[in-house]
Formats: sequence, structure tokens, C-alpha cells
Amino acid sequence: MLRSFASNLADSSLNQLISETVWLWPVLEIIHFIGLSILLGALLIIDMRLLGLFKSFDAASVNRLAPLAWIGFLFNLITGALFFIGDPVRYSVNIGFQLKMLLILIAGVNLVAYQLQVRPLMAAWNSGSPTTPVAKAIAATSLLAWTGVLLLGRLIPYVGTG
Amino acid sequence: MFSWLETTAVANWVALSLWAYPALLSLHIVGLAIVVGIFAMRDLRLAGFVKGIDPRIFVNLAPFAWFGFTLNLVSGLLLFTSQATVLVTNPPFLIKIACIFAGMLLAGTIHSRLRKQSVSASFYVTMLSEEGTLRPLALLSLTIWAAAISAGRLIAYF
Repeated sequence: MLRSFASNLADSSLNQLISETVWLWPVLEIIHFIGLSILLGALLIIDMRLLGLFKSFDAASVNRLAPLAWIGFLFNLITGALFFIGDPVRYSVNIGFQLKMLLILIAGVNLVAYQLQVRPLMAAWNSGSPTTPVAKAIAATSLLAWTGVLLLGRLIPYVGTG
Repeated sequence: MFSWLETTAVANWVALSLWAYPALLSLHIVGLAIVVGIFAMRDLRLAGFVKGIDPRIFVNLAPFAWFGFTLNLVSGLLLFTSQATVLVTNPPFLIKIACIFAGMLLAGTIHSRLRKQSVSASFYVTMLSEEGTLRPLALLSLTIWAAAISAGRLIAYF
């Protein structure tokens, strides 16, 4: 399914535009790297607070970094989609890419758990509030998933087809 | 000196081992996310794009950013050995190194100023005594790190 979708994309006019515009690919890469810095920076600080590493931080105010994580993610969703459209056949069969997408999906499910289980509690937390086992588990899952996303993304050119 | 560096055992290992180069690139991106990620949050807060966070938390987070920086210094030096002669004449590489120096010096300045700040805090607003003077430094820092990332990405295209 992914492969027939990919070969359809390979014939699209957007694919032509991306693969023929020489300067576009490096520009997309630059935005993708800036986006990942913003996404990971925000998540790192929120997740470390949830893990209980920086208990002195006011948890509710640290949570104010969450919109930045969304902005970083949006940057990378758009640039990532353009990478895929620009070279769909190469990405769709790449095991690094496939596992990266799976990890983003896991991170998404984890985010739902965070919204339901942790965010409502965190609103009442302040500086020094202890964390909970559920919050710790969700934060650890988030950090592991996103570190995996980083590593797999970087390894796409070096791994084979899946 | 740079051509000698390329002949060392370390450089050979980085260049010839199947996994050394991708493993070092992997460490380099994790370090990038940590150091630029934390500095970017600090700068976005100080520039006023995010409100309601006590910016002094970034002084507590600084050792963590240094850890990311060290990760990248070590992985970056190892990556450098394998292509030293090409990189020292590569304009984006030289710009990237200059940006990193500037960004780290600026981080030192910003953190030492943050340590001296007194804070007036209410529930939603945390204001620093020198909020206004830190803003241009934060904007400069954001620009420098965006330039460092851009130059780093462009190394392969020159």
C-alpha cells in the first residue's frame, strides 16, 4: 500500500518541483533541523521535570513550553512531508524511515496519555511538587521515543530496505 | 598538520569502519538537540516569545546544555579527523565553527547576567529586573544558532 502510494507520488508535479529545485532540499533540511531543536528542547525540559530531575522548577510554568513543541513538530511535519513527496520511493522502502514513523506514532499515543493523565494534575503542581509514577513513565517513554526518532532519521541514508 | 591528522589511526577508524561514521553522526544530532534545544528555549523566553516561565531555570539547565555541547565537541572532533583537509577549506564548516564559538561565549554572558537578576513574580508573569537588556542578546543568540545549524547542513553541498 505504502509502495503504490509512493509511486503515485513519484509522478506528481510537486515531486517534480522538489526534485528539480536544487536549492530547496538543503533549505528543507535546515528547517527540519531547526524544528527538531525546538521540539526536542521543549520536550526535554518538560520531560525532565516530569521525571523529577528538576523538582525546583514550577511545573505549571514549565508546561508553557508545550506550544513550542507543537510549533517545532509542525515545522518538521511539513518539511518531512515534502522530503517524502520529493523522494517517495526511497523513503517508503527504507527501514529507518519506517521505524521512525512507528516511533512518532508511539510518541503520539504517549502524548494522548499525557494529556489525559498528567496535564490535569500538573496544573496544580508548583515548584517542589513531587512527580508521580505515571508521569515518570510517560516522560521516559517520550524521551526514549524522540531520541529514537532522531537516531533513525539520521541513519536513513545508512540503512537498507525493510 | 591536517593531512597528518587524516593519516592517524583514529581518522582511519572513522573513515573506514562501517558503523563509526553513522554512530558519530547519531551522537552529534542528540548533542545538537540538547544544546541548541535548551539554548533556544532560553532565548525564546528571554526574547518574549514565551511568557510566564522564570528564566533562571535556564541557569539550572546549563550543565545539561554543556553536556550536549561536550557530546558534540567530542563527536565533532572525531568526525573532523576523517576529512580534516577538506573541511578546513570548506566555507560553511568555518562559518559553523565561528558561530559555535560566538554562541557559547554569548551563552556564558547570558547565564552570568541571569544569575544576577532579581525577580518579581506573580502567578502568571515573571519579570526580570533587566528583562529589556537581555532581549537583544537572546535574539542574537537565536540568530547565531540558526546560522550554525544552516552552515552545518550546507557543508555537504560545498
